Amino acid sequence: MTNAFSLYTPRASALHRLHPLTMLALVVFCLVAGLALPGPWGPYVVFLLLILPLAALGQVLPNLLSTAVKIALPFAISVFLIQGLFWTGGTPVVELGPLSLKREGLWFAAQSTGRVLTVVSSFLLLSLTTRPDALMIALDQRGAPKTLTYIVLATIQIAPRFQAKARTILDAQRARGLETEGSVGRRVAALLPLVVPLVLGSIIDIEERAMALDARAFSRSGPKTSLLTLRDTSAQRAGRWLLLLGMIAVVALGIWLRRAA
Amino acid sequence: MIAVRDFTYTYPAAPRPALIDINLEIAPGQFVGVVGANGAGKSTLCYALSGFIPDFYRGDVKGSLSVAGRDLCKTPVAELAGEVGLVFANPFNQITGARFTVREELAFGLENLGRPRDEMVARVDEALRLTGLTELADRSPYALSGGQQQRVAIASVIVLRPKVLVLDEPTSQLDPVGAREVFETLDALTGEGATVILAEHKLEWIAAHADRVIALRGGRVAADGTPREVLADASAEELGLMPTRYTLAARLAATQGVVKRDGPLPVTLDEAREFFGGRQREGA
Repeated sequence: MTNAFSLYTPRASALHRLHPLTMLALVVFCLVAGLALPGPWGPYVVFLLLILPLAALGQVLPNLLSTAVKIALPFAISVFLIQGLFWTGGTPVVELGPLSLKREGLWFAAQSTGRVLTVVSSFLLLSLTTRPDALMIALDQRGAPKTLTYIVLATIQIAPRFQAKARTILDAQRARGLETEGSVGRRVAALLPLVVPLVLGSIIDIEERAMALDARAFSRSGPKTSLLTLRDTSAQRAGRWLLLLGMIAVVALGIWLRRAA
Repeated sequence: MIAVRDFTYTYPAAPRPALIDINLEIAPGQFVGVVGANGAGKSTLCYALSGFIPDFYRGDVKGSLSVAGRDLCKTPVAELAGEVGLVFANPFNQITGARFTVREELAFGLENLGRPRDEMVARVDEALRLTGLTELADRSPYALSGGQQQRVAIASVIVLRPKVLVLDEPTSQLDPVGAREVFETLDALTGEGATVILAEHKLEWIAAHADRVIALRGGRVAADGTPREVLADASAEELGLMPTRYTLAARLAATQGVVKRDGPLPVTLDEAREFFGGRQREGA
């Protein structure tokens, strides 16, 4: 069931067996803790002591690490260079001719990178261990708008097909002599013959898809049921409340640590 | 069961009606082929027979249209899910994108109807069996071939147990193997008592599978009868219909005096075998 836009990786792990809302609460806790704790060390503590052990427990540590690095590394390089070199004022740490890396800039870059790493790896942890449809059904059952959950799920599955369609149109236009490489002007000019058929074709597709959904009672009012059964327990419900309390506590701790510093 | 009376429909802002004075009665369990040139009104008739006109496509409607006594012009499509099902040409657009396996895709409509889980499981299994998809139940619908996807689209409609199944050129994007899979599924469904209305260009398939053929031209019913009556008739080509290769071969043989022509020409392989075989024996 994996595809380019769904990272879910089936494993027989304890995390995979959790109710999707418990997993969501756990990940939101990691996210809140990573953003609430101060200094460059706060997000890294959450990443190293919370997210990585959880990923190991979910048997998705290599997947999480490789994807998180791919996403966070380009950001880290650019933010360290820009903030380190162009920080106004500050204490030089390394002199590179007319340029110098500033301690304050590097400090800020480390903090920003830590936060990005925490946010990215939290979402990755959720995506790798929780089926998106199960999460959406769980949200549905808690009163989330059905149209919203449908859009999220359909985007995950349909986006790769949309990309494939764009590639097909591009190939067809190239076969008819459209030049898509070279100067910026030429590339921009090549966009129109790609975008027009793609957008028009997609509008027609959307109309047909809306009809197909209607034919399957999507817009019918009244109670809905689900084939997928989501196992929830009183322990997990209690755990979610504890995580909520933990989020409040960690925010309070973050505020206290900032004031104390 | 299906009754269409003096039905005329014009799309919004269209200069002339797409369907004009349609009068039809279709009995339960019939396999009806709807044929005609492009623009003859096949798709519009499919949308009307499945309730999308006027609920989805507005426009000007005259006359009446009912399935099992239920007025389609006054019933929202979402309320018709258990009465009439519609399958489109493009299988990709019929897959919801909201479910990750074929089994869950089939259950989508039942979930919307609020059916209990036990009933859902039984009905999904039955639809999988009828469409020959049991082996593919746990695959992603997007990982299937075009023919398999179209069978998923059909299965996800028949799982709602509609009394009438309307299909608008469901094989137009399929290869011959995919088209055969779809027609075998439709045969299985009519065997179970469903009424099937199929708009299709592949006349040889229609000739071999349908009980009745309705030919449209310019939005009007131009011919209505058995496949042999409609498709082998000399006037069929005037309706924009290309005769089947069996009809063409028989016509050529009769014109060149190879066989004597008496009675209607064949439209299927079996009829051609009978046509030529009988005459060869006469000749011998």
